Amino acid sequence: MISAGTIHVISTELTIGMFALSGVAFLLCMIQKGPESREAVAHWALLGGLIATPLAIISGINASPGDGIDNPLLANKMLLSMTSAGLAIGVLVRRKMGAAVDTRHAGIGMASVGLMLTTAGMGGEFSRGETLLLFVPKETVMIFPLWASIVLIILGIAILSKSAIEHRS
Amino acid sequence: MRLKVVILLCILLLSTTVSTANPGGKGDDVRSRDCAGSCHASSSSNGVSTATLNIIFPPEVYAGLLIEVQTSIGSVDVSSNNMVGMALLINSDGAKDLPANAGWEIVTDPNGGMNNYVEISDSFSSQSPVNRSWTLRAPSEPGNYGLYLAVQHGTPEGGVAMSGISEIKSVQVEEVPENLPRLSPDWEPTNTRGLGEETTIILETMNTDSATVELMNGAEVVVIPVVDNQFTIPAAVNPGIVQWRVILEGEGPTQTSPWFRITAQEPAWGVDETALYLQSVALFLLCAGLVIMQRPKNEDIMKNYDNTEHVVSTVGTIQDTVSEEAQSPPIPAGGIPEGWTTEQWEYYGHEHLEKIERGEV
Repeated sequence: MISAGTIHVISTELTIGMFALSGVAFLLCMIQKGPESREAVAHWALLGGLIATPLAIISGINASPGDGIDNPLLANKMLLSMTSAGLAIGVLVRRKMGAAVDTRHAGIGMASVGLMLTTAGMGGEFSRGETLLLFVPKETVMIFPLWASIVLIILGIAILSKSAIEHRS
Repeated sequence: MRLKVVILLCILLLSTTVSTANPGGKGDDVRSRDCAGSCHASSSSNGVSTATLNIIFPPEVYAGLLIEVQTSIGSVDVSSNNMVGMALLINSDGAKDLPANAGWEIVTDPNGGMNNYVEISDSFSSQSPVNRSWTLRAPSEPGNYGLYLAVQHGTPEGGVAMSGISEIKSVQVEEVPENLPRLSPDWEPTNTRGLGEETTIILETMNTDSATVELMNGAEVVVIPVVDNQFTIPAAVNPGIVQWRVILEGEGPTQTSPWFRITAQEPAWGVDETALYLQSVALFLLCAGLVIMQRPKNEDIMKNYDNTEHVVSTVGTIQDTVSEEAQSPPIPAGGIPEGWTTEQWEYYGHEHLEKIERGEV
């Protein structure tokens, strides 16, 4: 029986490896240097990382000691990884809709990658007590009230629906 | 350029430090004996601890009852963080060595948990030993049992992971006398509590007529009344450990329990998980939506797929070529040569005009 901790290591390596590759490719897109394949690499690697992300999140929750989320680092990891996944999906859909890979597009892709790498850095601090993210306020968790989250969810769904309708028309 | 990259890589490789084991500890846990995390390091980074290790059992150990075991670590110099990891084990093989495998139960470890491996920081030195208390429940079957004390630690110079294990310390576990006043085998002590809250403990006893609880407050021992098998320990203001024990009297010989420890700690960090998950979903949807909303305008999309300019310019070029090709040479003053058709003139008129210029016609 393979423990959740081992599965988490595997899925995390997959996620972070592909996100890191995507980040480098987006950087090349931003500075307009490197091979022609940089755009394809950036988006396909981002998609690969995105597919591995849910597995990493679920195995991470199962592998954490104690019951549920009892550490601010875990809470921040959850928020950051979901934000990163949202940005990544947005970038991929935007590209699918025919957007050019300009500075803004590459910048959003790099932001998504940066958030995911920050999440991984927090994981290092949680499991080993060491991190390079010395000046990031990792112990502070900002939780919205329930009503605010619900409003944001409705707002997000409305934006997505509006974009989908506009794209179809 | 390549040379610079190679030099940079070499500098990075040379700047790495050699670190053995887990200098910050691995945390308390239920663990078999390991090699301080340095199993795969070179033999030069491992060492045998010089520590003198000892386990002291109470004079009488009854099957299934709680006992207090003292462990002692002496004659050892450790790394600057003064940390030693110590484990209670039942063999020195490194496998199937957990006390539970022989029927022992760790009720309270020195740090207030229920682990066989704990990490403690204290003033370890070659001069003064460091003692710790464990509360164990003895195996339920009488017989001869043994325990080992294993340690792992660093060195003052660093770079070497030291590990050591004691000789086996044997103890005879005896059958419980029928009328022995004792705590019920099902009773479990409380190990932790929050700050600022009183702790009421309900005792479950057997063959007991009266019970008295002693609370150790610093160096002073305070007697707490037991009413209806219950007693209350005052609230703790600061994080720390208080110890108590119960003296049980009945028909049989009077029994004194081991010192039980209650660790008062800051309330654990908590979060409303529903709010957290909802906010995660909200951020996911909002970020995805905001990025997608930044989709290119229709003109931009049209521009990506619009090749009108290319087509127009290509068609224009073709038309120009065709029109140029289709243009007839000018008809001279004398008209087209006799016998020529208009079509022949369109194709061969140029040559006729050139001959006229050369004076050949």
